[in-house]
Amino acid sequence: MSERSAPGQIVLPPFVRQVLHGGGFWPALPAVVFLVVFLVLPMLTLLAFGFVTIDRGRVVGETFTLQYLQSALGDNLIWRLAWRSFYVAVISTVLALILAYPVAYLFSQTSGLWRTLILIAVISPLLTSALVRAYAWLVILGGRRGLLNQTLLQLGLIEQPLRLLNTDWAVIIGMTQIHLPFMILPLLAVLAGRDRRLEEAARNLGAGQVRTFFTVVVPMSVPAIFAGLALVFAVSYTNFIVPQLLGGGSYSTLAVQVYEQTVVVLDWTRGAVLATILLSSCFVFVYLIVAGGSRLSRWAEPRS
Amino acid sequence: MSHISLEAITKSYGPTRVLNQCTLEVARGDVMTLLGPSGCGKTTLLRTLAGFVRQEQGRVIVGGVEISHLPPNRRSVGYVFQNYALFPHLSVADNVAYGLKVRRRPAREISERVGKALELVALDGLGARYPAQLSGGQQQRVAIARVLVLEPEVLLLDEPFNALDAKLRLTMQVELRKLIDRVGITSIFVTHDQSEAMMLSDKVAVMRAGQIEQVAAPLDIYDRPVNDYVASFIGRANVLAVDVRGGVVVNAPRVATNRSDGEATLIVRPENLGFATADAVWQGKVLFASAQGPTIEYEVEAGLAQPLRLVVQRRAGENPLPTGSAAGVAIIDPDACIVTGARRDV
Repeated sequence: MSERSAPGQIVLPPFVRQVLHGGGFWPALPAVVFLVVFLVLPMLTLLAFGFVTIDRGRVVGETFTLQYLQSALGDNLIWRLAWRSFYVAVISTVLALILAYPVAYLFSQTSGLWRTLILIAVISPLLTSALVRAYAWLVILGGRRGLLNQTLLQLGLIEQPLRLLNTDWAVIIGMTQIHLPFMILPLLAVLAGRDRRLEEAARNLGAGQVRTFFTVVVPMSVPAIFAGLALVFAVSYTNFIVPQLLGGGSYSTLAVQVYEQTVVVLDWTRGAVLATILLSSCFVFVYLIVAGGSRLSRWAEPRS
Repeated sequence: MSHISLEAITKSYGPTRVLNQCTLEVARGDVMTLLGPSGCGKTTLLRTLAGFVRQEQGRVIVGGVEISHLPPNRRSVGYVFQNYALFPHLSVADNVAYGLKVRRRPAREISERVGKALELVALDGLGARYPAQLSGGQQQRVAIARVLVLEPEVLLLDEPFNALDAKLRLTMQVELRKLIDRVGITSIFVTHDQSEAMMLSDKVAVMRAGQIEQVAAPLDIYDRPVNDYVASFIGRANVLAVDVRGGVVVNAPRVATNRSDGEATLIVRPENLGFATADAVWQGKVLFASAQGPTIEYEVEAGLAQPLRLVVQRRAGENPLPTGSAAGVAIIDPDACIVTGARRDV
């Protein structure tokens, strides 16, 4: 088409036309506006609180200061809490993967009613709140009278009740179960839709079922594995309900501290600083997971 | 003794019987094509041989050893998939090395044999690429190299040219046939394309509804089809319901047969019919004519169930007969006609 179009028609400069065309951006606009107004801006405000002095709910002084961040980073306790957040999240993410893969694989090997039942079993926990599920674990793991200890004692498998509640293990067990669907769902989609002829090809080339599974099925699901890892790590690392309920009063992680400083101690500045540390480190870890995943699945990228 | 025998294989998927007492023998070193319309069970038969499908009845024997109950990984049967099923996460060399690694061959032997296999299919130098970086024809060659590097007893190919465009298909067909001759491996192709079957194979097995209708060399199948189904599947044919009396086809007196009296089917190839005035067997009108250059194809309405089909040699400058003109049709060589039993309704 010619630039000089029919008389009377307004000819827009190329830049304006490009913006108006938007490259497919316009349909996403409502969602983007919503997220900016109700997520990004409040979050930035909250994070900004970490860099100003707040006294009785008011911003005091007008200078930007790094002193709170520096003091938090110099605090040994914060590092210990961050480390605990990290290893609890790592262990529970790895456990989730180990537990999720067989379920997703089973789903891909079944059909009809069984398939529906597995899907319902995977999704239905998401219908109850994480809080309720954490309380349920309290009942199961809790003290001498807890379901688990009662059963083990009665079966004679243990003589002393296990001390699970208020330990890392209680938190890890609870977190793993609560976040399991986030690991299963991406795996489910990829494993159910996979190309079975690749497995037949492997069998035809002499590989047994186990070898076929580890050399063909698992590598082909690497993108889904890493999507699940990133998802579960992010929610485990930043979860504060489970550590609070199953870890007990003296148990704390970085996320729990954010909650306590902001809601209990009402030290918004410190809460905001800790939230900044939590979010930015979480972002770095998730980025590393995603980068690792795409490194391992370079073959999946389109190439010329 | 035949190299591969499939004895009375039966397989059903639910109520559908895909293979029905299907029996097939392939001689050592032969290239056999399973030819049939889609849904006739040809791929299922091939998959049974590879062990992907477990037959309900019947035996699979390769090289004198029954392998009916061996899992696929313990059969020495190479399978080339329709879309090649190359492992996308492995490089070309690793794809070819896969089977050798499974067999725990020493690393030196693996790289040597992979190199040779890639050379065999003219892909040396592309070992480091990933399958997604190859063209369709190259992918097919990787799939073949991946199988041949293991030196299987038998090579099975499931519609290997389907994924290629028409132009490439022809070159690859010739190349593949040459390669198979060089390696000298007993092979079975599956295809629904009759020209592919004619070109590639020593023997063609025509399948219908889970059974083999006829096994013969390509030209034998064309010249002496056992029934009208085979006749119309390979090439084109006029299939006419006729009566036989006293060793002669009543409707076409020059065609002799040793069939006993009664209803029969006369199969005449289009090129075995010609226009004649004197001894015309059928009188009719030209329905349609299309000039192909060296030949002219006619359809002649002669009061039969279907119009007669003729292929006539065309001289330079000759125009086809106009539509509607009256024409007598005669059989050129009565000996080349086939008389079989009355038509089975399918």
